[in-house]
Amino acid sequence: MRQGLRKTLASLALFPCAVVFSGCGLLLDAVQLVVPIQTDDLAAICARQTLRVGMGIEPRQPFVFPAIWTDVGSRVTGLDVEIVKEMSAALTAHCGGRSVTPVLHLVHFRDLFVQLNEGKMDLFVSAVNENAPAPNRAGLAYSVPYFYDGGLVMITRQPDLAARVRAQVPPGAGRLVEPAVMRRALAGLTVAVQEGTTAELYAVANLKETRLLLCESLPAAFESQSPPVDVILSKQPLLAYSVNRVRKDWKFISTDAGQPHLLSSENYAVIMAEESYSLRQFINDLLFRLEATGRLDEMRRRWLTEVYAYPRRAAEEGLPFAVEKMVAQHYQGECHVHQAM
Amino acid sequence: MKTILGAWMIAAVALAAMVGLCVESSWEVDRAEAEATARLLAKMLNAGRIVIDQHQTLIDDPHKGDKGFTPEVFEKLVIEEFRRQTGINLLSLDDVPVSIVVPPLARELLPALLQAGKEVVRDAQVVINQRGIGYKNFIPATYGSQAAARFSKATNVRLKQTTLDPRNPKNTPDDYETSVLKWLAGRPNAEAYVSELTGGGKTLRVVMPIYYEKACLKCHGEPKGDQDVSGYIKEGGREGDFAGAITVTAPLDIR
Repeated sequence: MRQGLRKTLASLALFPCAVVFSGCGLLLDAVQLVVPIQTDDLAAICARQTLRVGMGIEPRQPFVFPAIWTDVGSRVTGLDVEIVKEMSAALTAHCGGRSVTPVLHLVHFRDLFVQLNEGKMDLFVSAVNENAPAPNRAGLAYSVPYFYDGGLVMITRQPDLAARVRAQVPPGAGRLVEPAVMRRALAGLTVAVQEGTTAELYAVANLKETRLLLCESLPAAFESQSPPVDVILSKQPLLAYSVNRVRKDWKFISTDAGQPHLLSSENYAVIMAEESYSLRQFINDLLFRLEATGRLDEMRRRWLTEVYAYPRRAAEEGLPFAVEKMVAQHYQGECHVHQAM
Repeated sequence: MKTILGAWMIAAVALAAMVGLCVESSWEVDRAEAEATARLLAKMLNAGRIVIDQHQTLIDDPHKGDKGFTPEVFEKLVIEEFRRQTGINLLSLDDVPVSIVVPPLARELLPALLQAGKEVVRDAQVVINQRGIGYKNFIPATYGSQAAARFSKATNVRLKQTTLDPRNPKNTPDDYETSVLKWLAGRPNAEAYVSELTGGGKTLRVVMPIYYEKACLKCHGEPKGDQDVSGYIKEGGREGDFAGAITVTAPLDIR
């Protein structure tokens, strides 16, 4: 009652201001922080009974596997999908038992940021690291991490090249390598990264003496022939899945102890709009609870260390996706040489 | 009085017998029509499975985006395969040779099953046309499950793929199917089928066996116990072995 009165008073106070001052967005933001008067995002999800979730269509195994056909129609699966199912269950409980169904929008990774800003989805989750500074990430907010060991690593097909890079790293430097060392070690090589990811941000900032290839997806990087790729730079769990199960001809560039050299450390989080205060709090509470109960750890183990075939998991536990939101013909895309500005 | 009563009783029994005969005769006709229809439906579902099987390499081609395997192309191919198997041209059912009987019920239901199959292929386009992805699990079994489910939902006839040890729990055989599958499993590969009235004679059940073909063995063949590409355990089947069945459950008062 009291809360309702405060909202009404705040709205009344704001109305003349909105009429008199055009573009008083800052004032609106300030009021919103003190007394959130906009529609509560959680209440909107409850009313809609759907949670609109964005996911990158480019496979980011084992977080998001390629869309696949099953006995019950098209499905997508992976660690991120399992987390979305937990969100959906928690939202259903929060909404008084009114079932909240996740609606997955499989779109190009680069479009996730745009579509979230346009309000076309409530959140997205696709092995995206928290707090990466990039122009297209303005206006976004991150949950607490659900995955902690996601830094950038390198793979190559050439054993001599791996030895050459390793030789550049000072003895006793440990796993995490300084950017200046990497700049020297990878000088003159062709390094492929996926566009829009932190690998691109890292490479553009630090690998000035390499020929940088920007690829639309990780599979495109693997298949690039002109020019041939010397090194692929990407997130550790994604590359681990590839080299251990799919592209066994590629190997990590590792320390003498056999551990992949790390170029950065990354934690993955759920991405929401900056103003989705209550949704963010809700997702954070959920992730804390999943972490505390060991459920998140169990999920990470299931997807990262167990041996499995994802089509079966997709059939048994995958989620359907909004076919009309999916790009009509996904293809892995191409790579092109980065032109330094 | 007794004579009159006796005469009435005889008349009543005779009438009941006549009614019984008529009813029996009526069911017989319906059963024949339903049985022919059920066999054709099973053959059409299998025709769709064969078409998927024949195009598996194209569907799983990671280097190709648009595969051109559209619902319309699929429809054309299924019609051709069905014609090859049965001699029936679905495009001109009125021009079917006199020697081939296409019951009225089949004329209603075959187009419905064809439509269900087209819808499955239409919905799978986003999966089929992914480039850079090889195996997509769009295989005869997953096509068949969806086409059968959609057809069953749209009609009173239940179409199902089943086997004694199914990968998909929804394909688990019921008691009747289990007994027939066990019987079929012990018999040589043949163009046989089992047809029976159940539910007090009101429901027709038809079971048509399917046998492993060469392409099936990639997932269902040797070595037995190994995991196949989709994550299920290989059954150790060999070409020509009994694989399972397509079953049709049709109420005789369907109209």
